Amino acid sequence: MSTTVMPEDRGAGMWEVTTRVIVYAAIGAALYGVAAVFSVLIPGTANVSVRPAFALVTFFGFAFGPIVGFFTGLVGNMIADQISGWGLLTSWNWSVANGLVGLLAGVFGVTLARAIPNRLVLSAVAAALAIVIGFLFVFTDIWLGTADDLSVAFTANYLPVIASNLIAGVILTPILVAAWDPIRQSMGR
Amino acid sequence: MNIAPRYLGRGSWLARRDPRVLLIGLALFVFTVIQVWDLRILAVLGVVAGVYYRSARIPFAAVRLQWTYVIFFISFVVITNTLLTGGELRGFTEDELHVYFHVPLLGTPISAESVTYAIAQFMRFLSMAAVGLPIAYAIAPGDIGPAFARLGVPYKFAYGMELTFRFVPSLSADMQTTIDAQRLRGYDWERRGRGLLGKVTRTIPLLTPVTMNAIVGAEDTIDAMDLRGFGTQRRTWLRQLRFGVTDWAVLAGFVAMLVTVTILSFTGRTDLWVPEVLIDLAS
Amino acid sequence: MPDVPLIEVVDLTFRYRRATEPAIRNVSVTIRAGEVLLIAGPSGCGKSTLLRAINGLVPHAYPGELAGSVHIDGRPTTELRLREISADVGTLLQDPAKQIIGSTVEAELAFGPENVAMAPAAIGERIGEVIAATRISDLAGRETAHLSGGERQLLAMAGAMMLRPRCLVVDEPLANLDPATARHLLGLLRDLADTGHAVVIVEHRVEEALELRPDRVLAMELGRATYLGPPSGFLEIADPGSVKLPFEVVLARARSDRAAAAPAPSAPSRPELGPSRLAFEDVHVSLGERDILRGVNADLGARETVAVLGPNGSGKTTLFRTAMRLVSPTVGRVLVDGSNVATASIAELARSIGYVFQSPSQMLFARTVRDELLFGPTNLGLPMEDPDVVAMDALRRTGLDREELILDRPPLTLSFGQQKRLALAIGLSLQPRTLILDEPSAGQDHRTSEAFMAAVAAIPELESLYFVTHDVDLALTHADRILVLRDGRIVADGPPASVVEDVVLWRTCNLHRTSLMAANQAWAGRAGPRFLDAMTLAAAMVADEASGRGGGGSASAAG
Ligand SMILES: Nc1ncnc2c1ncn2[C@@H]1O[C@H](COP(=O)(O)OP(=O)(O)OP(=O)(O)O)[C@@H](O)[C@H]1O
Ligand SMILES: Nc1ncnc2c1ncn2[C@@H]1O[C@H](COP(=O)(O)OP(=O)(O)OP(=O)(O)O)[C@@H](O)[C@H]1O
Ligand SMILES: [Mg+2]
Ligand SMILES: [Mg+2]
Repeated sequence: MSTTVMPEDRGAGMWEVTTRVIVYAAIGAALYGVAAVFSVLIPGTANVSVRPAFALVTFFGFAFGPIVGFFTGLVGNMIADQISGWGLLTSWNWSVANGLVGLLAGVFGVTLARAIPNRLVLSAVAAALAIVIGFLFVFTDIWLGTADDLSVAFTANYLPVIASNLIAGVILTPILVAAWDPIRQSMGR
Repeated sequence: MNIAPRYLGRGSWLARRDPRVLLIGLALFVFTVIQVWDLRILAVLGVVAGVYYRSARIPFAAVRLQWTYVIFFISFVVITNTLLTGGELRGFTEDELHVYFHVPLLGTPISAESVTYAIAQFMRFLSMAAVGLPIAYAIAPGDIGPAFARLGVPYKFAYGMELTFRFVPSLSADMQTTIDAQRLRGYDWERRGRGLLGKVTRTIPLLTPVTMNAIVGAEDTIDAMDLRGFGTQRRTWLRQLRFGVTDWAVLAGFVAMLVTVTILSFTGRTDLWVPEVLIDLAS
Repeated sequence: MPDVPLIEVVDLTFRYRRATEPAIRNVSVTIRAGEVLLIAGPSGCGKSTLLRAINGLVPHAYPGELAGSVHIDGRPTTELRLREISADVGTLLQDPAKQIIGSTVEAELAFGPENVAMAPAAIGERIGEVIAATRISDLAGRETAHLSGGERQLLAMAGAMMLRPRCLVVDEPLANLDPATARHLLGLLRDLADTGHAVVIVEHRVEEALELRPDRVLAMELGRATYLGPPSGFLEIADPGSVKLPFEVVLARARSDRAAAAPAPSAPSRPELGPSRLAFEDVHVSLGERDILRGVNADLGARETVAVLGPNGSGKTTLFRTAMRLVSPTVGRVLVDGSNVATASIAELARSIGYVFQSPSQMLFARTVRDELLFGPTNLGLPMEDPDVVAMDALRRTGLDREELILDRPPLTLSFGQQKRLALAIGLSLQPRTLILDEPSAGQDHRTSEAFMAAVAAIPELESLYFVTHDVDLALTHADRILVLRDGRIVADGPPASVVEDVVLWRTCNLHRTSLMAANQAWAGRAGPRFLDAMTLAAAMVADEASGRGGGGSASAAG
């Protein structure tokens, strides 16, 4: 007799919270926090500071689902701010924005899967959309008084952040996915 | 690159507080500060923040880097903001301004008002950073999880926070090892590839190995957690958190500040207040 | 009731979801209370998979096709939930760093009980008991991040005991431990068996595992059980090439078939050292507040093979990092070919000294092995007519070229042993004349690590080899000079034969007096400064006995 048994967390919908999700989320957040600092430490040329590590948010969201993505962005950004000395909650709304990006990357990764068969292209598109939409949340700066009006929030906050993060996200997310997929195959889970 | 937050405030007055106090306190303080533009009130809040920060007794040597970064970054934000937009005018109309001069090329007016705004902005960020920093240094490792759990965060995510703080040091060590390994292959992330694109692509040899190793290594962690029944039912926490009198007092203090400031701001008394000295300078 | 088997594996076959071949086939074994089962076999033969089947990860966490059954105390694992099984079966995984969850010792111990909602007070008591039982009271209150590898493994062991399981499955627990810590752990496992627990242990270091006095041994090959019975029988059939056996056994084996007899290789005259390749002059290193190296003086010759031994945290890795300018001495100088490294660029150093890190995957990032190999040469702008030739060339030197289509495989999907060789090939791709290896044998079975060292020895261009290891036999049999490091100081420096004389030193450095080492000593260094590996030595002794000269090295002397 040959029984084929699937594990408890098989068929888990993208919103189910398994041990796997928690551990990946924690790793994503810690990694983003650490790597973000590291990228800030690179002497910058442009006066918009790019965080190449931002691609980790879209990657973890795309590869492991919206919950992992959200946690990676939200907590990861807080950790980064904390480590850099900026303070855990000083820019809490930006942390939320990061979280939303990760969440959306996960959602688009699933919903667009049929429309875009090529996984690498898919990951790039999902990342791009997630960044453009997710960072709309930084307009809360107006209400928080850290940006005086819509035009400033748009030119001084929104545009730079999506510009630099689009670069990081669109280039690096597919590269990370390309590295991860074969490994996932060989690990068999 | 030893950027891992460490428990340096051990034994200090702040470290002896219930960890929830540090988290709630910070939240309350942030929402207090963001309502205030009046330099006088900000000065008071700044002093409070300073005292609070000192009570964590974090050795300065350990956080010199952080403070340098914060000062630099705030100045950068504030100055660009002021130069580009003349600062937020918060209800002042153009003709009310006491203009010093106009920025060449940009033509934005630098006025008593915009300078005041810049100073206020600076103090706001600085005080928030001061109240935020101790969280990394004055909360005992192992208290993060229980703290968030007792703040109503679902226990799985509370434990996720715990794990995150636990992974930070080891991952930054891994990052360092990878940097070393690649430098031995003639890879120099400081010089190669100029410009934004170069800067981004040049991190691939660092990000990829560290990320993939972390994910593959997670298998054991996941197994170890599953094998000890994580996530199968509501869990208890060995660490019992109880607010002491002092804890309540500290929280009460933060609440009082928030309430006062909120009332003041509704009665419009937290808005930009321009010191006479600055106005006189204009004439 | 010892007659009811605690663990009963019946004709078990399991294939991982994406694998084409079953990882284990038709394995049957029963373990009763108070029994110790040792599982041995080459890498990839299915040992861990069998353990996963016992603790329920297979099939509950690892999807796949399963035939046959596993019963824990009479109940089939497929019908139990993972945490029901974990109440009966405690597990200790190989890598201590990965299985520690909590950030303090107490938090770690509490993890299991917390998950089953035990009352905090009760958890507190339980922690006290377990800490006492596992004799780790000196760890109480510490942060797990600051524990050494060995201490972590002991803590993980204690953590597994917190839920009072009646069975314990242990996967290669000794891999990262220095011998002293290994003893402590084995002692604990023995105690458990004596108090009526069932213990299943997988271990490559058979010689040490035998100190556990297992009741039975299960030998596996390619997923099948090749032997199940008492240790004595196993020692008769085991292949000394694939598992590391006590020297007495190897000798007895050699005696039984005289054909193997061969005279000792003519003692190579102490190789000339050549000019100084790597010199440390009063090197001090401090990281943070801690002094890691405290005045190291050593001059490593350009034609030498040097092994560095020493307890965890003694500064071995740091020492060689200074040679590559990854760490700069706070006091003292490091010279490569007579010139101070401080004046050279890391890239230049990498061209004269190849450095292979302990964990190979920490440098692998490219999409294909080819790109991975060409990364270094391209960065340094080495001339390359045909990249593929260059890449294949590097692979050939490490014997990786035999894998088909290797050039296009993603490096991170290679097996650990293969990644290790790839790392070596990468180190060689800059054509260095000297090679530094950090823990070349860690995480591999006897055969793979021996093969690895053989591959290194076979590299023609290589003049000198310096390596760090915890494997005493590996050091003694491959090096003609041994450095022993303790607390950042060199406490011994000389040829194997003379270094091993100092018994006290050996003990104070947590080093293990292996049977092979004792035998070599008894053999009285007749094979020159370098020690012989078990097979060669045995063959030589037998040859001696045959030619009636007796010879110092008898099994008794090896005790
Ligand atoms: N998650 C997995 N998915 C697919 N195949 C796997 C998985 N884990 C292991 N295998 C394969 O199953 C076989 C047995 O693996 P296993 O880890 O049990 O061997 P092992 O005896 O423990 O080896 P080692 O001594 O190196 O730990 C190997 O061929 C391995 O490649
Ligand atoms: N970057 C660092 N910062 C602080 N301490 C460090 C750092 N790197 C190593 N150490 C410490 O220096 C000591 C020596 O480390 P090293 O890795 O050289 O020891 P080792 O002899 O290689 O140990 P092992 O045998 O476990 O590899 C250890 O206690 C380690 O904790
Ligand atoms: Mg195994
Ligand atoms: Mg080492």
